[in-house]
Amino acid sequence: MYFDQYLQRRNYFEEQKKVFQETKQKSSQLLQAVEEAQASLLTQDNFVTKQLINQYSNQLSELIKNSGSSISAAQEQLIHFMEDLQKRSSDFEEASRVSTEKRISQLFERLEAKLSDFLIQTEQKTATSIELELKSVRQLIETYKNAQLKLIDENIIAMMEQTLSIILTKKLSLKDQLDLVYEALEKAKVEKFIV
Amino acid sequence: MDQILSDILENTFTLTQLKTRLRVLKASLLKEFFGGELEQAPEDLNWLSSLPKSFYLQFTKDNVYKLLEDLEKTIPTLPILTIYLTFEPNENALFQIGSFARKTYSTPLLLLDIKLDPALIAGCSLVWKGRQRDFSLRSKLEEKKPEILNSFKRFLR
Repeated sequence: MYFDQYLQRRNYFEEQKKVFQETKQKSSQLLQAVEEAQASLLTQDNFVTKQLINQYSNQLSELIKNSGSSISAAQEQLIHFMEDLQKRSSDFEEASRVSTEKRISQLFERLEAKLSDFLIQTEQKTATSIELELKSVRQLIETYKNAQLKLIDENIIAMMEQTLSIILTKKLSLKDQLDLVYEALEKAKVEKFIV
Repeated sequence: MDQILSDILENTFTLTQLKTRLRVLKASLLKEFFGGELEQAPEDLNWLSSLPKSFYLQFTKDNVYKLLEDLEKTIPTLPILTIYLTFEPNENALFQIGSFARKTYSTPLLLLDIKLDPALIAGCSLVWKGRQRDFSLRSKLEEKKPEILNSFKRFLR
Protein backbone atom coordinates (compact mmCIF):
# COMPACT_ATOMS: atom_id res chain seq x y z
CA MET A 1 0.00 0.00 0.00
CA TYR A 2 2.76 2.41 0.92
CA PHE A 3 4.59 1.47 -2.15
CA ASP A 4 1.53 2.17 -4.33
CA GLN A 5 1.09 5.54 -2.72
CA TYR A 6 4.71 6.22 -3.17
CA LEU A 7 4.49 5.33 -6.84
CA GLN A 8 1.45 7.55 -7.30
CA ARG A 9 3.23 10.39 -5.61
CA ARG A 10 6.29 9.89 -7.73
CA ASN A 11 4.23 9.79 -10.89
CA TYR A 12 2.51 12.96 -9.83
CA PHE A 13 5.83 14.56 -9.13
CA GLU A 14 7.15 13.39 -12.48
CA GLU A 15 4.12 14.87 -14.19
CA GLN A 16 4.63 18.15 -12.38
CA LYS A 17 8.23 18.07 -13.36
CA LYS A 18 7.23 17.40 -16.95
CA VAL A 19 4.73 20.28 -16.87
CA PHE A 20 7.44 22.47 -15.47
CA GLN A 21 9.83 21.38 -18.19
CA GLU A 22 7.21 21.95 -20.86
CA THR A 23 6.39 25.29 -19.34
CA LYS A 24 10.00 26.16 -19.24
CA GLN A 25 10.41 25.07 -22.84
CA LYS A 26 7.38 27.00 -23.92
CA SER A 27 8.63 29.97 -21.99
CA SER A 28 11.90 29.77 -23.83
CA GLN A 29 10.03 29.52 -27.12
CA LEU A 30 7.89 32.44 -26.12
CA LEU A 31 10.91 34.47 -25.13
CA GLN A 32 12.49 33.61 -28.42
CA ALA A 33 9.30 34.57 -30.22
CA VAL A 34 9.10 37.74 -28.18
CA GLU A 35 12.62 38.64 -29.00
CA GLU A 36 11.96 37.99 -32.63
CA ALA A 37 8.76 39.95 -32.43
CA GLN A 38 10.51 42.66 -30.54
CA ALA A 39 13.11 42.85 -33.14
CA SER A 40 10.53 43.06 -35.84
CA LEU A 41 8.43 45.50 -33.88
CA LEU A 42 11.38 47.62 -33.13
CA THR A 43 11.80 47.86 -36.68
CA GLN A 44 8.05 48.47 -37.31
CA ASP A 45 6.22 49.89 -34.42
CA ASN A 46 7.38 50.58 -30.89
CA PHE A 47 3.94 50.77 -29.35
CA VAL A 48 2.73 47.49 -30.63
CA THR A 49 5.98 46.02 -29.62
CA LYS A 50 5.70 47.34 -26.10
CA GLN A 51 2.12 46.16 -25.86
CA LEU A 52 3.06 42.71 -26.99
CA ILE A 53 6.02 42.61 -24.67
CA ASN A 54 3.82 43.54 -21.74
CA GLN A 55 1.24 40.98 -22.74
CA TYR A 56 3.80 38.25 -23.05
CA SER A 57 5.49 39.28 -19.85
CA ASN A 58 2.21 39.06 -17.97
CA GLN A 59 1.44 35.64 -19.42
CA LEU A 60 4.92 34.49 -18.62
CA SER A 61 4.74 35.70 -15.02
CA GLU A 62 1.39 34.04 -14.54
CA LEU A 63 2.68 30.82 -16.01
CA ILE A 64 5.75 30.87 -13.79
CA LYS A 65 3.59 31.69 -10.77
CA ASN A 66 1.25 28.76 -11.51
CA SER A 67 4.16 26.39 -12.01
CA GLY A 68 5.79 27.51 -8.74
CA SER A 69 2.61 26.92 -6.76
CA SER A 70 2.21 23.45 -8.31
CA ILE A 71 5.80 22.56 -7.42
CA SER A 72 5.31 23.83 -3.86
CA ALA A 73 2.13 21.78 -3.50
CA ALA A 74 3.91 18.72 -4.85
CA GLN A 75 6.79 19.25 -2.46
CA GLU A 76 4.40 19.67 0.45
CA GLN A 77 2.58 16.51 -0.49
CA LEU A 78 5.85 14.68 -0.82
CA ILE A 79 7.01 15.90 2.57
CA HIS A 80 3.68 15.01 4.07
CA PHE A 81 3.87 11.57 2.49
CA MET A 82 7.40 11.05 3.77
CA GLU A 83 6.37 12.12 7.27
CA ASP A 84 3.38 9.81 7.13
CA LEU A 85 5.59 7.02 5.90
CA GLN A 86 8.08 7.69 8.67
CA LYS A 87 5.31 7.72 11.25
CA ARG A 88 3.85 4.48 9.91
CA SER A 89 7.29 2.93 9.83
CA SER A 90 7.89 4.01 13.39
CA ASP A 91 4.50 2.59 14.45
CA PHE A 92 5.22 -0.63 12.61
CA GLU A 93 8.63 -0.85 14.22
CA GLU A 94 7.11 -0.28 17.64
CA ALA A 95 4.40 -2.88 17.03
CA SER A 96 6.98 -5.29 15.75
CA ARG A 97 9.14 -4.69 18.80
CA VAL A 98 6.19 -5.19 21.15
CA SER A 99 5.14 -8.34 19.27
CA THR A 100 8.69 -9.70 19.30
CA GLU A 101 9.03 -8.98 22.99
CA LYS A 102 5.70 -10.67 23.63
CA ARG A 103 6.68 -13.72 21.60
CA ILE A 104 10.07 -13.90 23.29
CA SER A 105 8.36 -13.61 26.64
CA GLN A 106 5.92 -16.41 25.71
CA LEU A 107 8.81 -18.48 24.43
CA PHE A 108 10.67 -18.03 27.67
CA GLU A 109 7.56 -18.90 29.67
CA ARG A 110 7.04 -22.08 27.65
CA LEU A 111 10.72 -22.93 27.93
CA GLU A 112 10.59 -22.32 31.66
CA ALA A 113 7.49 -24.50 32.03
CA LYS A 114 8.98 -27.30 29.94
CA LEU A 115 12.29 -27.07 31.75
CA SER A 116 10.48 -27.21 35.05
CA ASP A 117 8.48 -30.28 33.93
CA PHE A 118 11.63 -31.91 32.64
CA LEU A 119 13.46 -31.26 35.90
CA ILE A 120 10.55 -32.62 37.94
CA GLN A 121 10.32 -35.73 35.77
CA THR A 122 14.07 -36.19 35.90
CA GLU A 123 14.02 -35.79 39.66
CA GLN A 124 11.22 -38.34 39.99
CA LYS A 125 12.94 -40.78 37.66
CA THR A 126 16.23 -40.32 39.47
CA ALA A 127 14.56 -40.84 42.83
CA THR A 128 12.79 -43.98 41.57
CA SER A 129 15.99 -45.27 40.05
CA ILE A 130 17.93 -44.65 43.24
CA GLU A 131 15.22 -46.35 45.29
CA LEU A 132 15.28 -49.39 42.99
CA GLU A 133 19.05 -49.46 43.12
CA LEU A 134 19.01 -49.22 46.90
CA LYS A 135 16.40 -51.98 47.09
CA SER A 136 18.48 -54.16 44.81
CA VAL A 137 21.63 -53.50 46.81
CA ARG A 138 19.79 -54.24 50.08
CA GLN A 139 18.51 -57.50 48.63
CA LEU A 140 21.98 -58.34 47.42
CA ILE A 141 23.44 -57.61 50.84
CA GLU A 142 20.70 -59.66 52.48
CA THR A 143 21.32 -62.57 50.10
CA TYR A 144 25.06 -62.32 50.65
CA LYS A 145 24.55 -62.10 54.40
CA ASN A 146 22.28 -65.14 54.41
CA ALA A 147 24.70 -67.06 52.21
CA GLN A 148 27.58 -66.15 54.52
CA LEU A 149 25.59 -67.08 57.61
CA LYS A 150 24.60 -70.36 55.98
CA LEU A 151 28.24 -70.96 55.11
CA ILE A 152 29.26 -70.18 58.69
CA ASP A 153 26.58 -72.54 59.98
CA GLU A 154 27.78 -75.25 57.62
CA ASN A 155 31.34 -74.65 58.76
CA ILE A 156 30.33 -74.82 62.41
CA ILE A 157 28.55 -78.13 61.84
CA ALA A 158 31.44 -79.45 59.75
CA MET A 159 33.93 -78.47 62.44
CA MET A 160 31.74 -80.04 65.08
CA GLU A 161 31.41 -83.25 63.06
CA GLN A 162 35.12 -83.37 62.44
CA THR A 163 35.92 -82.75 66.09
CA LEU A 164 33.43 -85.36 67.24
CA SER A 165 34.74 -87.82 64.71
CA ILE A 166 38.31 -87.39 65.93
CA ILE A 167 37.38 -87.52 69.59
CA LEU A 168 34.87 -90.37 69.39
CA THR A 169 37.16 -92.53 67.29
CA LYS A 170 39.68 -92.33 70.08
CA LYS A 171 37.33 -92.31 73.03
CA LEU A 172 34.58 -94.75 72.06
CA SER A 173 35.36 -98.33 73.04
CA LEU A 174 34.34 -101.33 70.98
CA LYS A 175 31.60 -102.03 73.47
CA ASP A 176 30.28 -98.49 73.06
CA GLN A 177 30.36 -98.87 69.29
CA LEU A 178 28.53 -102.19 69.51
CA ASP A 179 25.96 -100.70 71.87
CA LEU A 180 25.27 -97.99 69.32
CA VAL A 181 24.84 -100.62 66.59
CA TYR A 182 22.46 -102.66 68.78
CA GLU A 183 20.50 -99.53 69.51
CA ALA A 184 20.24 -98.79 65.79
CA LEU A 185 19.12 -102.36 65.03
CA GLU A 186 16.45 -102.20 67.71
CA LYS A 187 15.29 -98.83 66.54
CA ALA A 188 15.03 -100.15 62.98
CA LYS A 189 12.83 -102.95 64.29
CA VAL A 190 10.62 -100.59 66.29
CA GLU A 191 10.21 -98.34 63.27
CA LYS A 192 9.49 -101.44 61.15
CA PHE A 193 12.30 -100.49 58.81
CA ILE A 194 13.33 -104.14 58.67
CA VAL A 195 10.33 -106.46 58.42
CA MET B 1 20.71 -128.41 51.25
CA ASP B 2 19.01 -126.28 53.86
CA GLN B 3 20.83 -128.14 56.59
CA ILE B 4 24.18 -127.56 54.91
CA LEU B 5 23.42 -123.87 54.62
CA SER B 6 22.22 -123.70 58.23
CA ASP B 7 25.41 -125.36 59.41
CA ILE B 8 27.54 -122.95 57.44
CA LEU B 9 25.60 -119.92 58.62
CA GLU B 10 25.72 -121.06 62.24
CA ASN B 11 28.83 -118.98 62.83
CA THR B 12 29.05 -117.13 59.53
CA PHE B 13 27.44 -113.72 59.69
CA THR B 14 28.70 -111.66 56.80
CA LEU B 15 28.52 -111.95 53.05
CA THR B 16 32.30 -111.74 52.79
CA GLN B 17 32.73 -114.48 55.36
CA LEU B 18 30.25 -116.70 53.53
CA LYS B 19 31.96 -116.29 50.15
CA THR B 20 35.39 -116.89 51.69
CA ARG B 21 34.27 -119.91 53.64
CA LEU B 22 32.50 -121.46 50.67
CA ARG B 23 35.75 -121.16 48.74
CA VAL B 24 37.68 -122.70 51.64
CA LEU B 25 35.12 -125.49 51.99
CA LYS B 26 35.19 -126.21 48.30
CA ALA B 27 38.99 -126.41 48.29
CA SER B 28 38.96 -128.62 51.34
CA LEU B 29 36.31 -131.01 49.98
CA LEU B 30 37.96 -131.25 46.57
CA LYS B 31 41.24 -132.09 48.25
CA GLU B 32 39.45 -134.65 50.37
CA PHE B 33 37.76 -136.33 47.41
CA PHE B 34 40.21 -135.83 44.61
CA GLY B 35 43.53 -135.30 46.36
CA GLY B 36 46.12 -132.62 45.86
CA GLU B 37 47.89 -130.17 48.09
CA LEU B 38 46.29 -127.35 50.00
CA GLU B 39 47.45 -124.81 52.53
CA GLN B 40 44.75 -123.27 54.68
CA ALA B 41 44.97 -120.31 57.06
CA PRO B 42 44.63 -121.19 60.75
CA GLU B 43 41.30 -119.36 61.09
CA ASP B 44 39.95 -121.25 58.08
CA LEU B 45 41.10 -124.52 59.52
CA ASN B 46 39.43 -123.58 62.79
CA TRP B 47 36.19 -122.90 61.02
CA LEU B 48 36.35 -126.16 59.05
CA SER B 49 36.93 -128.07 62.23
CA SER B 50 34.03 -126.33 63.93
CA LEU B 51 31.57 -127.85 61.45
CA PRO B 52 29.83 -131.01 62.70
CA LYS B 53 30.69 -134.43 61.32
CA SER B 54 27.17 -134.83 59.99
CA PHE B 55 27.83 -131.82 57.77
CA TYR B 56 30.68 -133.51 55.93
CA LEU B 57 28.75 -136.77 55.57
CA GLN B 58 26.34 -135.04 53.21
CA PHE B 59 29.07 -134.58 50.63
CA THR B 60 30.25 -137.37 48.29
CA LYS B 61 32.48 -137.52 45.26
CA ASP B 62 29.39 -137.48 43.08
CA ASN B 63 27.43 -134.58 44.62
CA VAL B 64 30.18 -132.27 45.82
CA TYR B 65 30.20 -130.05 42.74
CA LYS B 66 26.43 -129.96 42.53
CA LEU B 67 25.97 -129.07 46.19
CA LEU B 68 28.65 -126.39 46.12
CA GLU B 69 27.17 -124.92 42.97
CA ASP B 70 23.72 -124.90 44.55
CA LEU B 71 25.14 -123.21 47.62
CA GLU B 72 26.70 -120.47 45.51
CA LYS B 73 23.42 -119.97 43.69
CA THR B 74 21.62 -119.66 47.02
CA ILE B 75 23.69 -116.69 48.19
CA PRO B 76 21.78 -113.99 46.27
CA THR B 77 18.48 -115.28 47.61
CA LEU B 78 19.52 -114.89 51.26
CA PRO B 79 18.29 -111.86 53.24
CA ILE B 80 21.17 -109.38 53.34
CA LEU B 81 21.32 -106.40 55.65
CA THR B 82 23.96 -103.86 54.70
CA ILE B 83 25.46 -102.05 57.66
CA TYR B 84 27.69 -99.01 57.34
CA LEU B 85 29.97 -98.84 60.38
CA THR B 86 32.47 -96.25 61.53
CA PHE B 87 34.96 -98.87 62.68
CA GLU B 88 36.38 -102.06 61.28
CA PRO B 89 34.90 -104.92 63.30
CA ASN B 90 36.93 -107.98 64.21
CA GLU B 91 35.61 -111.56 64.12
CA ASN B 92 34.22 -111.28 67.62
CA ALA B 93 32.42 -108.02 66.88
CA LEU B 94 30.95 -109.50 63.71
CA PHE B 95 29.76 -112.48 65.70
CA GLN B 96 28.08 -110.24 68.27
CA ILE B 97 26.44 -107.96 65.74
CA GLY B 98 25.33 -110.86 63.55
CA SER B 99 23.92 -112.82 66.46
CA PHE B 100 22.11 -109.79 67.77
CA ALA B 101 20.63 -109.00 64.35
CA ARG B 102 19.43 -112.56 63.73
CA LYS B 103 17.91 -112.71 67.20
CA THR B 104 16.30 -109.29 66.94
CA TYR B 105 14.72 -109.94 63.55
CA SER B 106 14.15 -113.65 64.12
CA THR B 107 15.91 -114.43 60.85
CA PRO B 108 18.46 -117.28 61.26
CA LEU B 109 19.74 -116.97 57.70
CA LEU B 110 20.28 -113.21 57.84
CA LEU B 111 23.60 -112.08 56.38
CA LEU B 112 25.36 -108.82 57.01
CA ASP B 113 27.17 -106.87 54.36
CA ILE B 114 29.59 -104.75 56.35
CA LYS B 115 30.87 -101.48 54.85
CA LEU B 116 32.94 -98.70 56.34
CA ASP B 117 31.91 -95.04 56.47
CA PRO B 118 33.92 -92.99 58.99
CA ALA B 119 31.90 -89.87 58.11
CA LEU B 120 29.00 -91.31 60.14
CA ILE B 121 31.05 -90.35 63.28
CA ALA B 122 29.39 -93.02 65.45
CA GLY B 123 26.54 -95.52 65.24
CA CYS B 124 25.56 -97.04 61.94
CA SER B 125 23.48 -96.69 58.80
CA LEU B 126 21.33 -99.57 57.53
CA VAL B 127 20.29 -100.57 54.03
CA TRP B 128 17.47 -103.07 53.68
CA LYS B 129 15.94 -104.08 50.36
CA GLY B 130 17.18 -100.96 48.62
CA ARG B 131 16.06 -98.53 51.36
CA GLN B 132 18.56 -96.72 53.56
CA ARG B 133 18.08 -95.47 57.08
CA ASP B 134 20.73 -93.49 58.88
CA PHE B 135 20.93 -94.10 62.62
CA SER B 136 24.34 -92.52 62.99
CA LEU B 137 25.44 -89.59 65.08
CA ARG B 138 25.84 -87.56 61.90
CA SER B 139 22.14 -87.88 61.11
CA LYS B 140 21.27 -86.95 64.68
CA LEU B 141 23.48 -83.88 64.39
CA GLU B 142 21.72 -83.02 61.14
CA GLU B 143 18.32 -83.36 62.80
CA LYS B 144 19.35 -81.19 65.71
CA LYS B 145 21.29 -78.75 63.55
CA PRO B 146 19.15 -75.63 64.28
CA GLU B 147 19.21 -76.26 68.02
CA ILE B 148 22.94 -76.92 68.01
CA LEU B 149 23.60 -73.77 66.01
CA ASN B 150 21.42 -71.70 68.32
CA SER B 151 23.22 -73.05 71.36
CA PHE B 152 26.54 -72.38 69.71
CA LYS B 153 25.56 -68.82 68.81
CA ARG B 154 24.27 -68.20 72.31
CA PHE B 155 27.58 -69.47 73.64
CA LEU B 156 29.47 -67.13 71.30
CA ARG B 157 27.49 -64.12 72.59
